[in-house]
Amino acid sequence: MTRNEIWQALRSSLLEVFPEYTNLNIIEDLSLRELGANSVDRAEIIMLTLTHLNLNIPLVEFANVKNMIEIVDLLCQQIETF
Amino acid sequence: MSTNRDILNNKKFRVVVTGMGQLSSIGQGIPVLKRALLTGQSQFTQSSSFSMLSFPIIAALLQDFVFEKALNAFSVLPNNLLTMAKKAGHRAPLTIQTSLIAALEAWEQAKLYKRSFEKRRMGIVVAGHNTTLAYQYQRYTDDNLNHLSPIYALRFMDSDQIGTLSEVFGVKGEGLMVGGASASGNIAIIQAHRMIQQNLVDICMVVGVLADLSPFELQGFYNIGALGGRNFQKAPEKACRPFDRDREGFIWGQGTGCLILESSTMAKVHGIPFLGEIKGVAIALDANRGASPSKEGEAYVMQQALTHARMLPTDIQYLNTHGTSSLLGDETEIAAIQFVFNEHIHKVWLNSTKSLVGHCLWSAGVIETIATLIQIQSNFVHANLNLENPIDQDCRFVSSHSEIATIQSAMSNSFGFGGMNTSIVFTIGE
Repeated sequence: MTRNEIWQALRSSLLEVFPEYTNLNIIEDLSLRELGANSVDRAEIIMLTLTHLNLNIPLVEFANVKNMIEIVDLLCQQIETF
Repeated sequence: MSTNRDILNNKKFRVVVTGMGQLSSIGQGIPVLKRALLTGQSQFTQSSSFSMLSFPIIAALLQDFVFEKALNAFSVLPNNLLTMAKKAGHRAPLTIQTSLIAALEAWEQAKLYKRSFEKRRMGIVVAGHNTTLAYQYQRYTDDNLNHLSPIYALRFMDSDQIGTLSEVFGVKGEGLMVGGASASGNIAIIQAHRMIQQNLVDICMVVGVLADLSPFELQGFYNIGALGGRNFQKAPEKACRPFDRDREGFIWGQGTGCLILESSTMAKVHGIPFLGEIKGVAIALDANRGASPSKEGEAYVMQQALTHARMLPTDIQYLNTHGTSSLLGDETEIAAIQFVFNEHIHKVWLNSTKSLVGHCLWSAGVIETIATLIQIQSNFVHANLNLENPIDQDCRFVSSHSEIATIQSAMSNSFGFGGMNTSIVFTIGE
C-alpha cells in the first residue's frame, strides 16, 4: 500500500465526517483539530481510516500525533511492521 | 414571560400547543397526515427486512426516508438552523434524524425561528426509552469490534436525543427523557405541561422518538402474543383493526412527532395562534409489572383528567383511544370508557389513529395528540380502518370513512405495559 493510498483513505474518512469540506483543498500539514474536529470526531476519523485500511491499531497510539502528516506516517510505520 | 404578579399569585399557567411536526409511514408533514386522516390512508405492508424472525411481519414502516432529502421540505427556516440540523443528523441513527425532521416542522409552525425568547426558559422533553435498539443491533454485524465507531459511546444513550436537539435549537432550559412504554408520549406531554404550569419554562419542545425495533424486540412481542397479522399475510392493509372482532394484536408503526407547548401568555404576546389547549392530565399506575390492562386503572385516569380539567364526561365530544388492535387491550379500554362515559357513550366519537399509522409505541401519544388537534381544528373525526364487526354496539365508533364533527373538547388515552395509564383532555384553545 502506498503512502498516497493511505492519505486518500484518511482524506476520505475526513470527508465522511465533514462532507462540507468536499471542495476544500485539504493539505496534510493541517491538524484535525484545525479542521474543526473535536475529540470524538478525531477518534471517528481515525477509526474510519483504520476500517478502510483494514488495520487494527489501538486509538491510543494516535494520542500524540500533531497533524495529518503524522497520522499518515504512523499508519505507514504500522503497515511496514505487519 | 410570566409576570411578577402571576408568580406572586402562584398562578397556574394555561398551556397551549403552537407547533406540530410529524413523520410516519404516511409521509412527512402535518398536511400529509391531515390528508391521510381525512381520506383514511394507511401504509401497512409485509416487510422483508427482518428475515431472521420466525414469522413474516406486517408493519407500517417509514417509506424511503432520506434525511438530506427530508430537510428540503423546509423553505422558510433560516439556513444556519438547517445547516446545524444537517450537520447533527449526518451519520446519526434514524431515530435522531427523524426527531430532527419532526422538530424542525414544529419549530417552523410555532415561528420560533423568528421570535425572541430566553433560551434558558425553553425546555425539551423527549418521549421514549430504548431508543437505539436497531442502531445497536446493526453494530453486531460489524466483523470486528475493534472498528466500532467511537461515537457509539454517545449514540447508544437515549439522552443523545436531548443533546442533539438542544444543540441544534439552542435550548438551554430543563431537558429530560421520560419513558413509560406505549404511554411514553402522553407522559412526556404531561411532564412538559407541568413544567410550564410550574413556571419552570415558558416553552417546551416535546418529541416522541420513532420506535426503531430490532428483531429481538419484534420476536419478543410476537412470542408473548402481542403482535397481530398472522391471518392477514395476503392483505396486510387489513391487519391493524382496533376494536374489531377479528383483531389479533398490535401492528408496529414507525413514526415520530413533535409538539411545541407554551404558556398561553407567551403565545399571545408573540401573536402565535393556538392549535389547542391542554386542559387536564392524569397518570396512574396499576401496581402491575405485566402486560395485562386494568379497566379500573384506565377509567381512573380518564376521570382524573376530566377532574383536572374541571369538566364532565358530557363535555367531551371525541375520544382518541389507545386502541392498539390487541385482544384484551381493546376490550378493557371499551369497558373503561363505558364506565366513565356511561349514558353519554352514544355521543362520544371514538377512533384509533393506530388503524392508520400502526402502533408507534414511544411516540404514539404525541402522534395521536397531533391527530386529535388536527381533527378539532378541522371539524372531522377520522375513520376506524378495518372496523368491520365492532366488539361493542353501544359505542359511537367512527365508520370506515371520516365524518364531519364539531369538537370543542377531546380526550386522548395512552396505556403501557407495566401498568401505565395516562389520559389527556384537550380543548380547541380559544
